[in-house]
Amino acid sequence: MALVRLEGAVTQAPPARKDLKQQRPGRKAAFPTAILLLGAVYCLLPVVWVLVAATKNNSQLFNTFTFAPSGSLWSNIGALTSYGGGVFWDWMLNTAIYAGGGALLSVAVSGLTGYALAKYRFRGRSTLFNLLLAGVLVPPVVLALPQYLLLAKVGLTNTYWSVLLPSVISPYGIYLARIYAMASVPDEVIESARVDGCPEGRLFARIAVPMMVPGLVTIFLFQFVAVWNNFLLPFIMLSDENKFPLIVGLYTLLNRGSSAPSLYSLVVTGSLLSIIPLIILFLSLQRYWRTDIASGAVKQ
Amino acid sequence: MKLSLGGRAAVMRSLIAAALVAVLAAGCSSSGSTSSSTASQKVKLSFWSWVPNLDKVVAIWNKAHPDIQVQVQVQAGGDAELTKLLTAAKAGNPPDVAQVEYQVLPTLVSSNYLADISKYAGSLKGGFPAGIWNQVTLGTSAVYGIPEDAAPMAFFYRADLFTKYHLTVPTTWAQFAADAKKLHAEAPGVYLGTFSSADPGEFAGLTQQAGAQWWSASGSSWKVSINSAASQKVASFWQSLVASGGVNNQPQWTAAWNKGMNDGHYIAWVSDVWAPGDLVSESASNAGKWTMTALPQWTAGASASGNWGGSSTAVMAASKHQQAAAEFATWLNTSPAATAALAAQGGIYPADIAAQATLAAGKPPAYFSNQPSFYSIAKQLAAGTSQVTWGPDVNVAYSEFTTAFGTATTSKGSFLTPLDQLQSTVLNDMKKSGFTVQAAG
Amino acid sequence: MKDPRDRTAPRAAPYAFVAPAVILFTLLVLVPVGYTLYLSFQKSQVSGLGLGAGARRQVFAGWSNYTSALADPAFDASLLRVLLYSVVLVPVMLGLALLFALLLDARRVGLQRFARISIFLPYSVPIVVASLLWGFLYLPTVSPFTTILGWFGLSMPDLFATHTVLFSVANIGVWGGTGFNMIVMYTALRAVPSELYEAARIDGASQLQVALRVKIPMIAPALVLTGVFSIIATLQVFNEPITLSPLTNTISPVWMPLMKVYDEAFTNNNIYAAAATSIAIAAGIFVLSYSLLRLSNRHIFEGR
Repeated sequence: MALVRLEGAVTQAPPARKDLKQQRPGRKAAFPTAILLLGAVYCLLPVVWVLVAATKNNSQLFNTFTFAPSGSLWSNIGALTSYGGGVFWDWMLNTAIYAGGGALLSVAVSGLTGYALAKYRFRGRSTLFNLLLAGVLVPPVVLALPQYLLLAKVGLTNTYWSVLLPSVISPYGIYLARIYAMASVPDEVIESARVDGCPEGRLFARIAVPMMVPGLVTIFLFQFVAVWNNFLLPFIMLSDENKFPLIVGLYTLLNRGSSAPSLYSLVVTGSLLSIIPLIILFLSLQRYWRTDIASGAVKQ
Repeated sequence: MKLSLGGRAAVMRSLIAAALVAVLAAGCSSSGSTSSSTASQKVKLSFWSWVPNLDKVVAIWNKAHPDIQVQVQVQAGGDAELTKLLTAAKAGNPPDVAQVEYQVLPTLVSSNYLADISKYAGSLKGGFPAGIWNQVTLGTSAVYGIPEDAAPMAFFYRADLFTKYHLTVPTTWAQFAADAKKLHAEAPGVYLGTFSSADPGEFAGLTQQAGAQWWSASGSSWKVSINSAASQKVASFWQSLVASGGVNNQPQWTAAWNKGMNDGHYIAWVSDVWAPGDLVSESASNAGKWTMTALPQWTAGASASGNWGGSSTAVMAASKHQQAAAEFATWLNTSPAATAALAAQGGIYPADIAAQATLAAGKPPAYFSNQPSFYSIAKQLAAGTSQVTWGPDVNVAYSEFTTAFGTATTSKGSFLTPLDQLQSTVLNDMKKSGFTVQAAG
Repeated sequence: MKDPRDRTAPRAAPYAFVAPAVILFTLLVLVPVGYTLYLSFQKSQVSGLGLGAGARRQVFAGWSNYTSALADPAFDASLLRVLLYSVVLVPVMLGLALLFALLLDARRVGLQRFARISIFLPYSVPIVVASLLWGFLYLPTVSPFTTILGWFGLSMPDLFATHTVLFSVANIGVWGGTGFNMIVMYTALRAVPSELYEAARIDGASQLQVALRVKIPMIAPALVLTGVFSIIATLQVFNEPITLSPLTNTISPVWMPLMKVYDEAFTNNNIYAAAATSIAIAAGIFVLSYSLLRLSNRHIFEGR
């Protein structure tokens, strides 16, 4: 209902307006600028804290002023690397596999499904769409245990698949793919391809997908972040430390750190290293954050 | 060359079949224990534990036993491991061997997750103190685990800071309260200890010292008496200390508490014989400054103590190599090489009587270099700990303790109300599950 | 004209395309939910002392799991608490997001690029890590604020006291979510045609009036969508309190509704009670979000 009307707004969205700022570089108003500055400081505060705290070793962590850096960053990283025989970098690699692999699979499935929902009329289409959206309402903690029991029956627990498979289904990704397919793949192109005798699969792969690429990258990034940040699913599914993703590994490190506080500096350093990849990803792929399709105003 | 339609389908079928086999093979080979073995094939056992440096101890076994190889899978802690153990056992793929805290054994046994290894380990009975052996047999003829460590509670203090603040080392709880009052008046930010809702095991141990028996069984019915007079005595005592500021209400094993232990804001610690392992990493700069002695007593001259924690090595019922697992568990907890390594590397105080005697005859742990008699004192404390029966829903009780006492410790209100709440929750939980249970005074 | 999709679209293709999603969704969402529903009507019954083999059976429990969940005072308290949490967090977060988005879109405001990147950055920090970091910042003995406030002669307030802990946890949610919602609103603002602003400016409206009268109404759909999704997300809060719970007495193991599900399923080993509680929570969230969407649909979209 609401969403259908939103899609109507999508296809009629006007092009983005010109940037008036370029025409008048002038004095900046102080008060609004100050508000933005305050917001930025608030958001950067914990990031700066963890950056500085990772330069301290354990005794400096608790005994020196928080925002004055010390020089132990490299030794902390060294200690983190040697902990558990290098298991921290296993965690990094695992997270890349789960997030990258999970997001890739998710994009494939979401793209296929979104395209089909957008460009075909078939029985059960709206039921399927509404059912998928209802999936957003099921909290992950509710699904965790039954999913575990199910995967245990086929012997897939404590494997990479046990984390990858549940990460593939993303109702939000399918929703985005559908909107993007509707907005970026014109019916005329599909029509003429069919007239030329192109089979549906080829049509999708060779014609539709290239047109949907920016939206697909957005879905990839969303799902990448979601899987990167997921805690409960891998915590339940995995018992082998070598298969943990970063967050589960850091959590176990923190728990052991409560009875072995020398691990605190490792936790802090590990936290810093765990957010650097995503920050780099964000900064370098800024133009792909097409949240305009999420807000319902697509550029054509 | 184009394949015919039938040919293409056949290729597809075999590809799908191959993929499925690969997936299932990948899945099966890395979950839990391996396939069954013949007499000469190697047996691989998986072992879940949180003891630090355990892999070094297990390496000793692996070197001497090429036919039974044990792989340690490190867990975050007792609670985290229990969560995953219950889930895995429910799904039918737990590890072969697991470290199981004593108070959790009845929970696992009542769901039939533990193997009865009495036929492999029944003869070990005499090697352990009676109270501890009772915790792994649950009063039956079965044996559900091999005791690993003894965990009698003890009192630790900083002799230098006691001198600084002109305090006497308390031998009774009355003295403890007086010391706390004096300390609070003299130095408000410094404490004799802390009481928080995060450590139900500690509170349970303290009530044991006072003579409380939270659960008891007779015939086929249970009795629950959590709010008995003895427990109430302990609860009121700590309530008045928290309310007057004599002790802090900070949860233990947090960054803030560690800092306090390190820089002298806590000058004593009501803890347990496994403290050295903790103190080594918590308070490394204070090595040699802490001293262990018996807990303060309710009656002058008595020597009662309680249990806080302690764990056993158990074999899971779903394991396909129960005999090999039992053999390993026995070695881990009774062989001189293993118990010495556990004590030195893992900070474990062994339950095995012979091991305790060996330790008492040797040097103290490095952290307590100032106290040569450390292990003799530990041996005495272990011999004097009270018998305890754990009920089938200890985890419910502990979780409810944290909830019920959470508000009370923050608001410094009455501790008797949450104690009653704990009693009724545990009682109702057992009734709902169909146990025959009654409250007892 | 006939819909071209009808004429030439093959019948089977769409079903093949949606098959992977349907299969995975059925196996990994529908079946577990169905199993959970089934479990919520069962319970475990023991005989005798309850030790040893054959002591436990699974029996039909009727509605008893649901009634005991809803009658539990701690659970009812957690329901009220999560509603309060949502009421505190969502307006603050969306208000800030809107404010920042408008400022990013305004003229003669500096530091826009820097602020846009900085405010979006927390989205990249996992919630567990964020809770960890803020946990350190809240604790008086290790927090830098103690030192900084000390410079002004003030002392650090207790951020884990009974009346402050909710706001401390909500702060983590605000910190993490504002940036994402800000970007959504900002891109919606960028799509608003400039002619509307020009017309208003020629009429002499100030930037503030333009914002209130033109911009905000134009992005109302985006506001509604972010609002509804934010409410759904905050009602499911779990990661932040679970991470902070060991640090303080004021966050009990059942402080929020989903924590109770976790406590029952994984700590108490009572999957039946957990199943009933989670079905009850999911039903409540569904009803709430469905009504919100209906309501906003009627007012926002049908009114235009």
